[in-house]
Amino acid sequence: MSVAVASRPSGHLFGMSPDRLFVVLSRLVALTALIVTLSILSPYFLTWNNLINVLRHAVPLFIMSAGLTVVVLTGGIDLSVGAVLGLSACLAASLIAGGHPELGIAAALGAGLACGLVNGMLVSYARIPSFIATYGMLWIANGMAYVFMQGEVIYGLPAAFRTIGTGMLGAIPVPILIMLGTLLILHVIMHRTPFGVGVYAIGGNPVAARLSGMPVRRRLVIVYVLSGFMASFAGLIVIARTNAADVSLGEEQLLPAIAAVCLGGTSLFGGVGGVAGTAVGALILALVLNGMNLLGVKTFWQAGVLGLIILLSVLADQVVGGRINRTST
Amino acid sequence: MSAAGAHSQIVKRSQLGVWLAQAPGAVYLLAVLSIGLTILTPNFFSIANLTNVTLQIAVLVIVALGMTLVILTEGIDLSLGPVLGLCGVVMGMMVVTDWPLWMALGAAMLIGAAFGVVNGTLVSYVDMPPFIVTLGTFGIAQSLATMLTEGNSVTGLPDYVRWFNDGAPLGIPVPLWATAAVFALTYVLLYRTKFGRYTFAIGGNRRALVLSGSNARFYQVLVYVYAGVLTALASFIMTARLNAAHPTIGVGLEFDAIAAVILGGTSFEKGRGGIIGTLIGALAVGVLRNGLNLMGVSTEWQVAIVGLIIIGAVSLDSIRGHYA
Amino acid sequence: MTITRRSFTTGALALGSAAATGALAMPAFAQGKKPTVAFFVKNVTNPFWKACRIGAEKAAKELNIDLEVVAPTKPDNIEEQTRLVEDWIVKKPDAFVFVPVDYKALVPSIQKANKAGIPIINYNNKMTDIDKVTFIGSDDELFEYEMCKYLFKSLNGKGKVVHIDGVPAAITAQMRKKGFERAVKENPGIEVLASQPGQYRRLPAQQVFENLMQRFPEIDAVVSANDDMAVGVVEALHAAGRGGKTKVVGIDGIPDAIQAIAEGKMFATVDFSGHDQSYLAVQAAVRTLKGEKVPPEILLPVFIIDKDNVAKVARTPEERAVPSWDKTVKS
Repeated sequence: MSVAVASRPSGHLFGMSPDRLFVVLSRLVALTALIVTLSILSPYFLTWNNLINVLRHAVPLFIMSAGLTVVVLTGGIDLSVGAVLGLSACLAASLIAGGHPELGIAAALGAGLACGLVNGMLVSYARIPSFIATYGMLWIANGMAYVFMQGEVIYGLPAAFRTIGTGMLGAIPVPILIMLGTLLILHVIMHRTPFGVGVYAIGGNPVAARLSGMPVRRRLVIVYVLSGFMASFAGLIVIARTNAADVSLGEEQLLPAIAAVCLGGTSLFGGVGGVAGTAVGALILALVLNGMNLLGVKTFWQAGVLGLIILLSVLADQVVGGRINRTST
Repeated sequence: MSAAGAHSQIVKRSQLGVWLAQAPGAVYLLAVLSIGLTILTPNFFSIANLTNVTLQIAVLVIVALGMTLVILTEGIDLSLGPVLGLCGVVMGMMVVTDWPLWMALGAAMLIGAAFGVVNGTLVSYVDMPPFIVTLGTFGIAQSLATMLTEGNSVTGLPDYVRWFNDGAPLGIPVPLWATAAVFALTYVLLYRTKFGRYTFAIGGNRRALVLSGSNARFYQVLVYVYAGVLTALASFIMTARLNAAHPTIGVGLEFDAIAAVILGGTSFEKGRGGIIGTLIGALAVGVLRNGLNLMGVSTEWQVAIVGLIIIGAVSLDSIRGHYA
Repeated sequence: MTITRRSFTTGALALGSAAATGALAMPAFAQGKKPTVAFFVKNVTNPFWKACRIGAEKAAKELNIDLEVVAPTKPDNIEEQTRLVEDWIVKKPDAFVFVPVDYKALVPSIQKANKAGIPIINYNNKMTDIDKVTFIGSDDELFEYEMCKYLFKSLNGKGKVVHIDGVPAAITAQMRKKGFERAVKENPGIEVLASQPGQYRRLPAQQVFENLMQRFPEIDAVVSANDDMAVGVVEALHAAGRGGKTKVVGIDGIPDAIQAIAEGKMFATVDFSGHDQSYLAVQAAVRTLKGEKVPPEILLPVFIIDKDNVAKVARTPEERAVPSWDKTVKS
């Protein structure tokens, strides 16, 4: 997880500046502490089945948050990810259950791309704040899903399709392989291509990015398209797991997605962080939710715990990171 | 026509002309909606329905006024919706157990202020992004409210509570009095005091203000506190309106308030905008929803139309150079 | 509060709101105009309310009236439904067929409708403190009690049971849980392992149950407060390779649950028919407008669907036969 914009001062461990090192180490410590605590508190936690279970929860969450991460890296936000996930899931389920799996997958991904394209155009060419543009898209995507579904639920997807949500390759669940593949591809895109390096530059210093002659607007559009695409991809995995789709699927997905990004150490100001961090963030979040269930904590607390996690992780980065920065420069 | 060119042309015209040329999308939206609905539906332009609409938006206006100040400082407060639910629940539980009303109202305002202090301090002194801070407190307020009541509504409020929605001294309903009073107070605070001058200035150049050693950080916290206190007041009107308090009643209201502020022409950048625009923005949101119902537009389409209109009105402002 | 034929024949006007509502509502039919009924549902996202809509539309077609479906854009939103009621009072339909998203918080706005003289037919969730012509629905407590009694009998009165609760704040969920608790009390051999909310929705229920499975290697039965969650539980059991060992029951009779019962994956469900409730509610509205007498409360009978009778049950609300008014009202 490195920042590709600035030239790195020498003498930093693993090529990371001290504040980034803090972010990475704190997350790894949190993850370890969480695993140790949960194994002590609950005898069911450290079983193979439960761990697979946690990973399965983490997969759609990660895929959705990974797209969001790229948007956040440019200093923007995409509030429509949950709604796009819901819309794509509905379109896909209806076509797949109707016997056209290829069409269903294409329609879902197409809807994600289209929503992302509109978001991107609004943000980059119409210069509407990303917050407002994607909030409008949230309503539009929800509305289209409502109109399309008319209160219906679609059940019974074919087993072949459901492999991406429930299948096993040997002892390893397929969705986890999908997660690793996605992480690898995105990581390479973000760190080894001009596009990825450009995204960091746009978030780090938009004025400098524009002056450097980089196609800022076009790259911004691609960023939102990517986010829409990832949300619809996550939608496919969710319906493969639940074997059904209704319009409420996208509800209550936004808060966890943003929490995963923050937990992953991506700065909401843009320019700092990455998808690898988000993978860790999604994992921590899935562990916390699993732990709360295992320990019988009331679901009422879930929103509060998510909120606290968001606050604490950003607060720690801000306070500790800020202090290290001040002393090191 | 570039914004600068348009501006130099209209300076010479009358004040009204200037205002109309710079008027936010909400003014045009409201005008189009009002004329269209008067023609299309028999019931829209009636005293009964117009009273209905104004009563419906009282809570929204009060929350949106606080939100305007926050957005003027280049901030955002997503927690206002759940905080409204939490304040209402606490107030409801207190009056049900025979606490005097003024103490219940005071407790609610303290809670609103406390959330404001936390939000403001983290944004202003710790330099955290407002979006993320208030998203965090959003979750916390939400959980506290549902925990307190186990998710139930608080009912059995004393009879006098309903007077605050149904009562009409001098023929004008109480919520309208309250809205007018809050608007007047906010107007004075924003345009006649140091607090107001700082609110506008923080949005434009906070960094310079902070570096120059002024109290900008402190005033920024006050802005969040003010929004929290107004939300507590709004929760009281909401409780009187439903004759019950419910922990999730405010969820989503923060977005309606943001929509009203943005439609009203306040921008996320550089402290531009004002509360008159917000009032019109809230009216436009209220008339839009009322109109869609009166016209019998199906719920499924209403959802999409709301999104389209928000984007449309903001795009209009953007094309005219509002966000340049 | 019922409207009697006598109050019309004696021509008593505005004596008590019941008489007033009836008298005001009369003209639509008297003038030979097609009456309009505003039919409220809680949202447009849940299939239960779609079934309700279909039932209501069947009645509207049969009786030749205009039916307007009214639902909040934000699912189950109290504040928005309050506004909807206010807007519809302005539009003044001939009757409201109403279900509140919160049975207490909607009281003031329905009281306004009472004042405006609009007759209220309350269905599904019972409201108090308002003037209503009738309530048509099902006894949630009784439904879950009967379901559990049937299930526990098949377990010979002993076993380890998990309860998946609905939305804890919803009155239906509270009543259903009470029914569950009553049945448990009567069966001392039943051990309740856990009771956790699944929000009446499949995905949350599935996730909650996946975690519960890790905690409890042996679960004899799962009582779910609705079918959507029950099917989520069935899905989780099969994914974990534990299908067939645990008896799962739900409430509602949604198509997917009926399918699961036919395939032997699910044990049973109770037919909680929104279709029938709303069909009868619109019937009641029209009968009221015509000045006929309607009983103050109509409760639908308990009907358990299991593998023995599943073949005869209609899968979708479109295919379902409409209930007979006379038979239901008499029983």
